[in-house]
Amino acid sequence: MKVGRIIKVSGPLVVAEGMDEANIYDVVKVSDNKLIGEIIEIRGDRASIQVYEETTGIGPGEPVYTTGEPLSVELGPGLVAAMFDGIQRPLESIRGLAGDFLTRGIEMPALDREKKWHFVPQVEVGQVVQPGDIIGTVQETAVVLHKIMVPVGVSGTVKSVNEGEFTVEETVCVVEGDKTHNIQMMQKWPVRKGRTYAQKLNPDEPLITGQRVIDTFFPVTKGGTSAVPGPFGSGKTVVQHQLAKWADAEIIVYVGCGERGNEMTDVLMEFPEIKDPKTGESLMTRTILIANTSNMPVAAREASIYTGITIAEYFRDMGYSVAIMADSTSRWAEALREMSGRLEEMPGDEGYPAYLASRAAEFYERAGKVKCLGTDGRVGALTVIGAVSPPGGDISEPVSQATLRIVKVFWGLDASLAYRRHFPAINWLNSYSLYQNKVDEWMDKNIDLEFSSNRVKAMVLLQEESSLQEIVRLVGRDSLSEGDQLKLEVAKSIREDFLQQNAFHEEDTYTSLNKQNLMLKMVLSFYDEGIRALDSGVYLNKILNLSIRDRVARAKYLHEDNLSEIEVIMKDLVKNIDDLISEGGILNA
Amino acid sequence: MYKVAVVGDKDSILGFKALGVDVFPVFDKDEARRIVDTIARENYGIIFITEQMASLIPDTIERYNNEIIPAVILIPSNQGTLNIGMDRINSNVEKAVGTNIL
Repeated sequence: MKVGRIIKVSGPLVVAEGMDEANIYDVVKVSDNKLIGEIIEIRGDRASIQVYEETTGIGPGEPVYTTGEPLSVELGPGLVAAMFDGIQRPLESIRGLAGDFLTRGIEMPALDREKKWHFVPQVEVGQVVQPGDIIGTVQETAVVLHKIMVPVGVSGTVKSVNEGEFTVEETVCVVEGDKTHNIQMMQKWPVRKGRTYAQKLNPDEPLITGQRVIDTFFPVTKGGTSAVPGPFGSGKTVVQHQLAKWADAEIIVYVGCGERGNEMTDVLMEFPEIKDPKTGESLMTRTILIANTSNMPVAAREASIYTGITIAEYFRDMGYSVAIMADSTSRWAEALREMSGRLEEMPGDEGYPAYLASRAAEFYERAGKVKCLGTDGRVGALTVIGAVSPPGGDISEPVSQATLRIVKVFWGLDASLAYRRHFPAINWLNSYSLYQNKVDEWMDKNIDLEFSSNRVKAMVLLQEESSLQEIVRLVGRDSLSEGDQLKLEVAKSIREDFLQQNAFHEEDTYTSLNKQNLMLKMVLSFYDEGIRALDSGVYLNKILNLSIRDRVARAKYLHEDNLSEIEVIMKDLVKNIDDLISEGGILNA
Repeated sequence: MYKVAVVGDKDSILGFKALGVDVFPVFDKDEARRIVDTIARENYGIIFITEQMASLIPDTIERYNNEIIPAVILIPSNQGTLNIGMDRINSNVEKAVGTNIL
């Protein structure tokens, strides 16, 4: 192909002429250093290229080579438990080659070309296959069975298929269709294009995260989208980490996009040591990391989101439930803004490009529960959880607004809650989940018939608390009736004994749905029993001084195997209240 | 129609019976507490209680402070006044009109 010539360099943006043979979104190699870039605008024979690496020392006159291919990721065995940068360069192997920091122009295949994988065929010679059909499997890690699928655009009869040890580039299967296709374990897919599926389904099953405030009050479904906006230091990253650790997805893709490098280090240090409660294996065996930390080139940040979601889609197509965490989409939007500014485009709100909302929508719309391609009709789900960092915590800024317009779950983190050490600092008054009805049905069917009615009851108490608090601020607590004072106490108990959850406590960090259900029941039964006692004339402070309340508060530290203890607490509670009534109440009032 | 009750030691309150008021003689604080809580739930609009008895059960008196019905009014007993009834009226008036006009 024709070689272009640089005429302008402006930070990560390079303009080259003589590029009339290239197409938009083609990958190019800039200068003799072979820096990787992507064409993002073409006028005549002039192409604007965003370069994914540092452009220091590049000047006009230097050559630009077109590859003629869009920016693609390599999909195949070797993805899981690996860490990539924004354009899928394997950071671990690069460290072996170049040391702790990325050097410019370094090129390295994303998937290890040397490593042999054991391929087990699932089809027989003579079988007719179509795109998406599983031709074989590779046990990639202890928990991930990597399914090798027929690539899109290939169909026909299997001519040969072999079991054995192969590298990702060796042919494992030959399919005879309109022409002969050699199928390797690795396939490529352009990152900006969503992978194809047969049919989109309505997401109706909750993604169980083990976080009480999320599962009980603001659930997200498998295949749903949610956003976590919050000011600095309110715990966005901890929420994301907790979800990555405990969500009951089979594959987790964690995209660290423009955030601190230490946070990725935390993931790298912690995950291999934590055991997945479901499989008993290390969490790293189901996790893929994409790291583009704040000191890495800006343009690659824009690509990292797409790289992450394409990999996630690939695993979804195998019929897995996949969750992708993007921390933080604000940094991604800022990268868009930087490129947009250098392109001299007309800015929209706060300098963000006018297409910010459509780009964000494009990204989140790739989530969903789908019927995958292939004759077996398997179902996969891709859940997207994006953190947003609005400056000053004010969610009226463009990135938050563009995000909230698309996502269906909003976990609003609150600086004042974080300041009060209430973690996770998800504000229960302004957060919402539009999947609530669907999930309520599921919970009532699978966990407890009263689950959703209990949730509503607790939420009503929390809302009443906030209006009672206003009265308390004006005229003091003593002016409330005893019933209202009891409500305040119970709401406090919901907040402290149920909503607050210590991410760093061994037992408290993950709560099963059964335990959540029992805990909520227990806290609410204190309200019902309290009302019963008040009605029979028992004094409020007698009820509030019951020592059993300590046991209620400590129930969250009970081990999962010990759930019957919660029922014992509930029984003791009823007994204690009965005692109070018989000694202090007016009988049969 | 609301009824009127008087609670206190027998000697102090028996005279009220002549006025057609319901009389509830009590001997100790537990009994007083139970009687006040019970009749508060019945159709009584005003409960008079002797200051001596009231001083034993401040929690119970406090409980009806913010309720419109019943009004719990402290009265002196046959042993004279402890002044707490008048103090309550003074403080209530002060709350209502902003200054002590009595």
